[in-house]
Amino acid sequence: MFGLELRDLTKAYGDHLAADHVSLSIPHGEFVCFLGPSGCGKTTVLRMIAGLETPTSGAILLNGKDISGQPANSRQFGMVFQSLALFPHLNVGENIAFALRLRGVDPRRRKERVAELLELVRLPGLQARAISQLSGGQRQRVAIARALAQEPPVFLLDEPFSALDAKLREEMQNELRALQQRLKITTILVTHDQREAMTLADTIVVMGEGQIQQHGPPVSIYKRPANRFVADFIGASNLLPVQILDGQTVTYGATALRVGATCGVGGAPATLAIRPEDVVITRAGGGGCNEVAGIISQVRDMGAYVEFRVACEGLDILGVAAPRDWIGAGLGEHAHVRLPVDSCQVLAK
Amino acid sequence: MTAADIGLTAPTGDLPAKPRWILAGLLTGPALYILIMAIVPAFLMVQLSLAHREVGGLWSPGLELTQYRQLATPLFARIMGFSLLLALTGAAICVSLAFPAAYFITRMRRRAQVTWLVFLLGSLSLSEVLIVFAFQVLLSTSGTLAGALSAVGLLAPGASLYPNFPAVLTCLVYLLLPYVILFFYPALSQLDPEVEQAAATMGASRISTFVSVVLPMMRGQILTGVLLVVIFTFGAYLTPLVLGRPPQWTIAIHINNAAMGAGNLPLAAAYAVAVVTFMAALLLLTRLLSRRRGAEA
Repeated sequence: MFGLELRDLTKAYGDHLAADHVSLSIPHGEFVCFLGPSGCGKTTVLRMIAGLETPTSGAILLNGKDISGQPANSRQFGMVFQSLALFPHLNVGENIAFALRLRGVDPRRRKERVAELLELVRLPGLQARAISQLSGGQRQRVAIARALAQEPPVFLLDEPFSALDAKLREEMQNELRALQQRLKITTILVTHDQREAMTLADTIVVMGEGQIQQHGPPVSIYKRPANRFVADFIGASNLLPVQILDGQTVTYGATALRVGATCGVGGAPATLAIRPEDVVITRAGGGGCNEVAGIISQVRDMGAYVEFRVACEGLDILGVAAPRDWIGAGLGEHAHVRLPVDSCQVLAK
Repeated sequence: MTAADIGLTAPTGDLPAKPRWILAGLLTGPALYILIMAIVPAFLMVQLSLAHREVGGLWSPGLELTQYRQLATPLFARIMGFSLLLALTGAAICVSLAFPAAYFITRMRRRAQVTWLVFLLGSLSLSEVLIVFAFQVLLSTSGTLAGALSAVGLLAPGASLYPNFPAVLTCLVYLLLPYVILFFYPALSQLDPEVEQAAATMGASRISTFVSVVLPMMRGQILTGVLLVVIFTFGAYLTPLVLGRPPQWTIAIHINNAAMGAGNLPLAAAYAVAVVTFMAALLLLTRLLSRRRGAEA
């Protein structure tokens, strides 16, 4: 099935590469989230897709056709901007009908389409309302309806929920996901909020320093980060400095740890990544493999879970335990942490 | 469009008691200044317009409508009509030139913007007298422009480009253009670029974005800009006096002639009252129109 393809997309501002040879294939109907810290180039890529920035090199293909040279007004990809960019001089209905009016759609059909879209974003009957009279969430919905009015081949969203409070943000995320699944429209959302990306995306594209660091389904990105940057950026991770011993063993200080697989040659420095929820804490240790002894340096009972830190070999290992699994130890007490083999991932330093 | 859009309302907020007193104290000075320097002369002007004219340029207190009867003459209607025509034409030209100019300046790189702003501010440092007489030289028979046009056969030899209506209009536009560009600059530089980009993603060309998004969004500022030029041009004195013939003289010149030439101070005051009333009506009408549009929006 055709979709959107980015081929070696590069954008340079003087010596600075905002996007550095970005290549990606997005199948039709997929929801993709570009995720990364500020300045990683994710918005630049989105703006190049929309036609608002001209790539320095590379190509953008839609259904196999190169559209890199087309201006934004020829592409007509629906876009929701961070500021929403609603037209304050037009009412809700006029905002939504803007693209239709430009296309010369007759007034009766425009009216019908506006009503359909308002129904879709759960704002029926608000055609005549002024933009200034809408709440934050309603504005968000109008911006979405406006972007969808022209039935765009690709729907783009640039951090659209960043200005909303947590509750409304979650509500809008759920609505957007439901809407996207209903319309089966290729959707690209830019965000720095990993929770948002995990909630919405079929595919997450993690960007750092203008490059794609990793892309794939949310769970695979979380469970199998490709490098230290991704492991550090997505969720909380313990990143332990280790030395590779052989193909299946690394050393952390004086302790040998078995891992699924290592990368690099023996003696090379590497990083062992393990998620806090995979760390198992025991009082005495079971004498099994991958156990490290340490002293509890922090305990935070969060109600739903207990968060703890154990100082082992000079570094704190962060873990979380369900309240029923918590060992009931306090600060300064001795404990053992076990790092399950399957959960340990060795990354290049 | 709301009244706030054309700058007729100020932001309000609940201030704590102490800053409110400080604010009141700070506002007392300007308020007294306006009261003394504007309202008192206005009162005196009305009083003078109702006074009895004496011989020798003198007047005595009274409550006569004699001078106001002179306002209901074709001559006064023609003077006001011409003043309004000049003001509206000047406003239309100034705003048509200044708005796109300010728009393009705001879309330039920062350094280029600063250069333009310095240039515009620099042009304001020239005295109006100097500019008007420079125009007189430029447009005269021996002037550079007339000479150049004669040389290429576009003007009869020995002809002058003034005194006439275009000369008055050109000079007034030149005088006001920097003010109007600088007036539009802050509003246009604060226009969210994403609004124009949103229009582009919906299929709008640059021209249709400008016409259907930028211009309507700036409707309030444009209206205020028009008012600014109308008010200034209506009261223009030196430019029409130097570069125009008597038919191109504005009401300001006729007020001066009534006061200083004919020695009829009550008539001059009646003229002035008529102008102030006309301007107040114009402002009121603008405000009503903007309120109605705001309510419709």
